Amino acid sequence: MFNMDWTGEYVAFIVFSAVIISGAVFMINFTKVVHMVVSLAAVFIGIAGMFVLLQAEFLAFVQVLIYAGAISILMIFGIMMTKHGDREAESKSRLHKIAAGIGAIALFGILFYAIRQTEFPAQEQPLHGAEDNAMEIGKLLFTGYVVPFELVSVLLTVAFIGAIVLAKKEANE
Amino acid sequence: MLSSYLMVAAILFCIGLYGALVKKNAVIVLLCIELMLNAVNLNLVAFSKYGVGASLTGQMFTLFTIAIAAAEAAVGIAILIALFRARGTVNVDDYDEMRR
Amino acid sequence: MNTMFSEIAWLIPLFPFVAFLLLLASGRSGQGLGVTIGTVGSLASLVLSILVLMEHMSDGSKYYQDGFKWIDLGSFQLNIGYEVTNLSALMLVVVTAVSFLVNVYSAGYMKGDERISTFYSYIALFTFSMLGLVLADNMLTLYIFWELVGVCSFLLVGFWFTKPAARAAAKKAFIVTRIGDAGLLIAILLLFWYMPDHALDFVRIENVFEGQSGTVAAGVTTLIAILIFVGAVGKSGQFPLHVWLPDAMEGPTPISALIHAATMVAAGVYLVARTFDIFQASPAAMETVAYVGGFTALFAATIGIAQNDIKRILAYSTVSQLGYMMMALGLGSLTGGIFHLFTHAFFKALLFLGAGSIIHAVHTQNINEMGGLGSKMRITAWTFGIGALALSGIPPFSGFWSKDAILTTALHENPVLFVVGIIAAFFTSFYMARLFFLVFTGRPKGEGRIHESSLTMTIPLIILAVFAIGAGFVETPWNNTLGEWLTGAAGADHSGSGLVMVVSTAVGALGIYLGWLVFVKGTIARDAVSSRAPWLVGLLERKYYIDEIYAAVIVKPLRGLGSLLNAIDQYIIDGIIAIIGGTAVLLGRGGIRLQNGQVQTYGLITVLGLVILIIAVVGRRFWS
Repeated sequence: MFNMDWTGEYVAFIVFSAVIISGAVFMINFTKVVHMVVSLAAVFIGIAGMFVLLQAEFLAFVQVLIYAGAISILMIFGIMMTKHGDREAESKSRLHKIAAGIGAIALFGILFYAIRQTEFPAQEQPLHGAEDNAMEIGKLLFTGYVVPFELVSVLLTVAFIGAIVLAKKEANE
Repeated sequence: MLSSYLMVAAILFCIGLYGALVKKNAVIVLLCIELMLNAVNLNLVAFSKYGVGASLTGQMFTLFTIAIAAAEAAVGIAILIALFRARGTVNVDDYDEMRR
Repeated sequence: MNTMFSEIAWLIPLFPFVAFLLLLASGRSGQGLGVTIGTVGSLASLVLSILVLMEHMSDGSKYYQDGFKWIDLGSFQLNIGYEVTNLSALMLVVVTAVSFLVNVYSAGYMKGDERISTFYSYIALFTFSMLGLVLADNMLTLYIFWELVGVCSFLLVGFWFTKPAARAAAKKAFIVTRIGDAGLLIAILLLFWYMPDHALDFVRIENVFEGQSGTVAAGVTTLIAILIFVGAVGKSGQFPLHVWLPDAMEGPTPISALIHAATMVAAGVYLVARTFDIFQASPAAMETVAYVGGFTALFAATIGIAQNDIKRILAYSTVSQLGYMMMALGLGSLTGGIFHLFTHAFFKALLFLGAGSIIHAVHTQNINEMGGLGSKMRITAWTFGIGALALSGIPPFSGFWSKDAILTTALHENPVLFVVGIIAAFFTSFYMARLFFLVFTGRPKGEGRIHESSLTMTIPLIILAVFAIGAGFVETPWNNTLGEWLTGAAGADHSGSGLVMVVSTAVGALGIYLGWLVFVKGTIARDAVSSRAPWLVGLLERKYYIDEIYAAVIVKPLRGLGSLLNAIDQYIIDGIIAIIGGTAVLLGRGGIRLQNGQVQTYGLITVLGLVILIIAVVGRRFWS
């Protein structure tokens, strides 16, 4: 990992991953809920940067729009609507925390081991369609993936209606 | 390079998992779940670029995942609000209906 | 040849059995019912038994057998049946007569006991078992009834189970006789193994062993005979298994009469008499029987001198008299043994019932606390006196004739045993004199009004007294009726019986005279022996420390072993169980804590489970 050239991509990668991981860690450790959401937004933006590095500009754009924009704002609204002060309450018991930490670290260890052990085969051909990413995705979306695309639209509509129904105040309350 | 992305995704996933298991505020738990979803997205896109059969399929999947995650977040928040209205709390520890 | 009554002899045990079932069904409801049903049942058996006996006496119908197939195992076939021989006919009468009289007597003695119905049902079951034993036509049937008798004795000795002593005595009786029963069971198994065609019925056994035909090897024969004798030793209270018999006095007194006179202890003698051919085929077994019997006779008689409990004295005298019977059988005199069994049944039942009458009146069993009862309880005193004289072997009472028959045989066969018998006879008359004089003469010691027992109790005494006087005349040196009838052989050799009669009478009289000197006249001080040799009196009072020896040698190690096994069971086996159970409980507790309904906990468990699963599946590559 360290014997590669310090290309611009690599530097960018390091920066973004630092943003992502530190954002995630801050999110876990902050006590103020709003701070958590802000650091989470940083994570989302970092991931968007990663997408750019991975030649998925369209996705990066979508990521910023939906995650960093919509979902973060939604969460802030959720927090405000539930009037939960703006502080994270006392956390779970110590035993629970330790067990969860052990579980998470063990899982990471396993993943780490698996990633290190795997010999990823060489690429057959470089990613084509990277030049005009949005165009290619649009083509694919309306040819090969048209049925899932329509299904997702239906799903979004259902979720939209469902969210309204769930969240609205009951008339006879 | 691929393994570096995977490693970042793994770290992100595990942090999200830890948060989902530990946090008390239901909204934060939802946030952590989003974090885990993002880790998966990162994996998909990384494979889309560096995988054996590099193609846009991974990005398509990510697109759908983001859409569904958005729907999930919306519905999740709606449920939380309804729950909060019914129980007066968003503390996950107080949601122990499954015991009954 | 008329076998009319013998054909229905199977009804004899059935009467008491029906009585038992009726009493069992009626429960505690009928108080007076128990007496009626039990007495009627035993009376019916008695009448039928007498008819059977008369039939056997009137003509030569010696034998009747009938039965049905019970188990068919390949070439082996097991029957349950009954047979009536002269011997069993005689035993039937003895058993039913004593049982009937005990039934009548108990109506008075047990009056007011709230479990009198239960008592009568036990007696009925006991009588049934004993009659079944007498009528059994093969070893296995006999063994079944043999065990039934043991169970009944357990129930009856422990009848007053609220008394700890009675409980202990019942257990002791059961366990000690069990040792003997084990011997008998092994003997039966050996017989089954070695007999041609695995036959177990007495007729075949008789045929095989008669005249030492050699069908069964001599060593095996001796072994079988000794093992059968072990069974008899257990039931008949012979040394060294005599310890249960005196303790069994904790039961109600009529039961003592029933057990010690006619049923249980007689079962041992009857068993030896029934399988007499096996014994005759083995001289070694015969000698064993004779010596054990002779030793027991002397041994128990000496203990009897030092006891103070009226029932215990009688118990030891029973042990002693049973020793006489065994000795007679061992010396080859079937007639002598059975004759003594026959007379002993009557006078010992008389003595026990008399003792019961005394205890009923004075409410104590210690003879030192009695005295001067003779004038207040005339019938009891007279009848008891007759019984005592019969037991002491004073002519013309029945005991004299039967003891005389035994001693005559002993004189012919084995002079050593003759001397033993004479000495035992002396001690017998001495302790009976002591018992009689202490109880009936002298000044009254207890306070309160003492009066004669009711008619239901005295009438059986009178009837038994008549038998105690007269029963001996069926077999005298001049009149060999019983012997001829019983064995079918010509009269036994009675030469020298004059000498025996003189000696035994003199010895008996001497014993009584000595007792009179000590306990009435006071010429010899009562503590003449105890002041000079206290150890001797102590030895006798403690029954030669047999119980203590058993406790030290057998009971303690067994108890230690038992507590060791118990500890293993309690701490190791139970510990393992407790660990398993505790683990399950702990797991359950943990499960309850996990089952708190919180999604996050479930999620945590899922993650941990996943990690463990992955490690378990993937981790194999590290180890293998």
